[in-house]
Amino acid sequence: MGKYFFLSVSLAVVAGFSSCKDDKVEEPEVPQDPTLRITVQPMYGTETLYLDSTYTTPEGYDVQFTDIKFYYGSVFNGSETLIDAGLFDYRERGTLLLEASGKVENFSNLNGFVGIPSDNNHADPAAFPNTSMLNIAHSNDMHWGWNPGYIFMKVEAKVDTIQDGNALFDHLVVFHIGKDENLQSANFNSVSWGGADMLRTFALKLDMLNFLQNSGSEIDLKTEYTSHTAPGQEAISLKVITNFAASLSPL
Amino acid sequence: MKRYLVVLLGAILSFLACRKDKVEYTPTPYELKIPSHFPDMIIPEDNPMTVEGVELGRKLFYETLLSSDNSISCASCHAPEAAFSDPNQFSAGVNGTLGDRNAMALINMGWNTAFFWDGRAKTLEEQILQPVENPIEMHESWPNVVAKLNSDVNYRNMFFKAFSTTEITKEYAAKAIAQFIRTMISGESKYDVMYKFQNGFTLSAGDQDILATVTPSEWAGYDLFKSLNGADCFHCHNGPLMQVMKFSNNGLDATFTDLGRGAITGNSNDNGKFKVPTLRNIALSAPYMHDGRFTTLDQVINQYSHGVQMSSTIDPLIEYATQGGVQLDDQEKDLVKQFLMTLTDYNFINNPDFREP
Repeated sequence: MGKYFFLSVSLAVVAGFSSCKDDKVEEPEVPQDPTLRITVQPMYGTETLYLDSTYTTPEGYDVQFTDIKFYYGSVFNGSETLIDAGLFDYRERGTLLLEASGKVENFSNLNGFVGIPSDNNHADPAAFPNTSMLNIAHSNDMHWGWNPGYIFMKVEAKVDTIQDGNALFDHLVVFHIGKDENLQSANFNSVSWGGADMLRTFALKLDMLNFLQNSGSEIDLKTEYTSHTAPGQEAISLKVITNFAASLSPL
Repeated sequence: MKRYLVVLLGAILSFLACRKDKVEYTPTPYELKIPSHFPDMIIPEDNPMTVEGVELGRKLFYETLLSSDNSISCASCHAPEAAFSDPNQFSAGVNGTLGDRNAMALINMGWNTAFFWDGRAKTLEEQILQPVENPIEMHESWPNVVAKLNSDVNYRNMFFKAFSTTEITKEYAAKAIAQFIRTMISGESKYDVMYKFQNGFTLSAGDQDILATVTPSEWAGYDLFKSLNGADCFHCHNGPLMQVMKFSNNGLDATFTDLGRGAITGNSNDNGKFKVPTLRNIALSAPYMHDGRFTTLDQVINQYSHGVQMSSTIDPLIEYATQGGVQLDDQEKDLVKQFLMTLTDYNFINNPDFREP
């Protein structure tokens, strides 16, 4: 009697366990979007540009770029948003502009801005998520003390304006351009994504020679060397950021 | 019968005694008190903040066993009353050996991305490991430190409570101290209220009271501090942290005896560059600059006003470098100084949680 009882209980337990196993629903596999990476290679005409290296301006001065940074804000295509902002910082982050998850077919065109559109530009920079380049921990010196919002683009350089054979780079260049009215569209159509599988890439170039000699809008660093987008600097600020945006193109 | 009772009682007592000694690993998450106008602090995944870790780190921060002659702790060169910096130009290590740089103030380090004046450590944990073995600082080996800590049952218990480890290592010690340093947050100065007011934050009743004490001179000094044609300080000292994360040659010298960042990167374009420090509690953290060459704020303001030296790696943001500086007059200098005094955070300095346990 005891033996049968024990067998019955064991069978019941095994059956119950098996049925539980059968009932287990496998977690559906969520297909992951690949990482879309956009890079920017600074150039000086046809040659690769390196910070602190010497190049010659169209006017014949030697110039050393010491910092190049910019925001590529509100990147989207139609109703698909890729990211709130990418941050290019050549010295600290190399050629990386942004990385975000997305399907390449959703981003055959890329629309965005050199700069940050107004709604985000004047939001609390400490309130963006840690992953956002708009968070003040990432924006670092690309955010002004609040009211004007973010610095959209920054070019700093040193120029040797006295052509006497002595390399004395004592002419300092500082362009810090922001404010809503200077926001520039930067759109790229028929984007050809490279890479494969889970990492797809799109490469841009930023031609700093074109930045200086953009047709009809040349910048002579001897006479046009500073703007903080302050009152009285509206014209030079617009010129600088227009030239900058015009110097971005697919590599 | 009585004998059995005594034995039984003894057994119960020793059982209870054993229970009392039992150390358990039940870490309590530590909640950082981050001011509303600050960004979140990014905590390393391999060193989550716990109450036990912070407690251990605090004890270690004040622990002289970290030095070879048991005379120096972290706090020896990062004294609370000096805003966790050293009032001496150069800190004295074991046997009075002097260093060649001024000890940096430990304030809001949890948001920093490079450590030491030359940025040779990329994380707080990495930074903490170095002074122990530096011959001009604690001049001790980590194996010796570990042995000394291991000989103390209290430390063994504290390490277990913090990290569930029976093996004390330098890495665990560094993690604990890093946790403690991350709690050292300064965001309650008069400047913080000014910053919040100017940027539209909701002010508490306490903030409103402080705001009412801000003088016209302090506001004027703040304006000069931020003005491109004034003191132009804000390019490098900005936002709630009052610093940007970068290395800069701020025009102290025309030639360099200390290469600073350049000695680390090997890139001559980095020569003479040093980490931009926070200006929080600046009135308490004299002397100033990487080599502590200035003893007063007046000297610092004069330097930026008239003493800037041109050199090959000068930061382009020192825009008036070619004329020696921003050329403030005496009244402007005084206003800037008055603003700098608003950066003192007495709640931070006097916080008992940061003092020796």
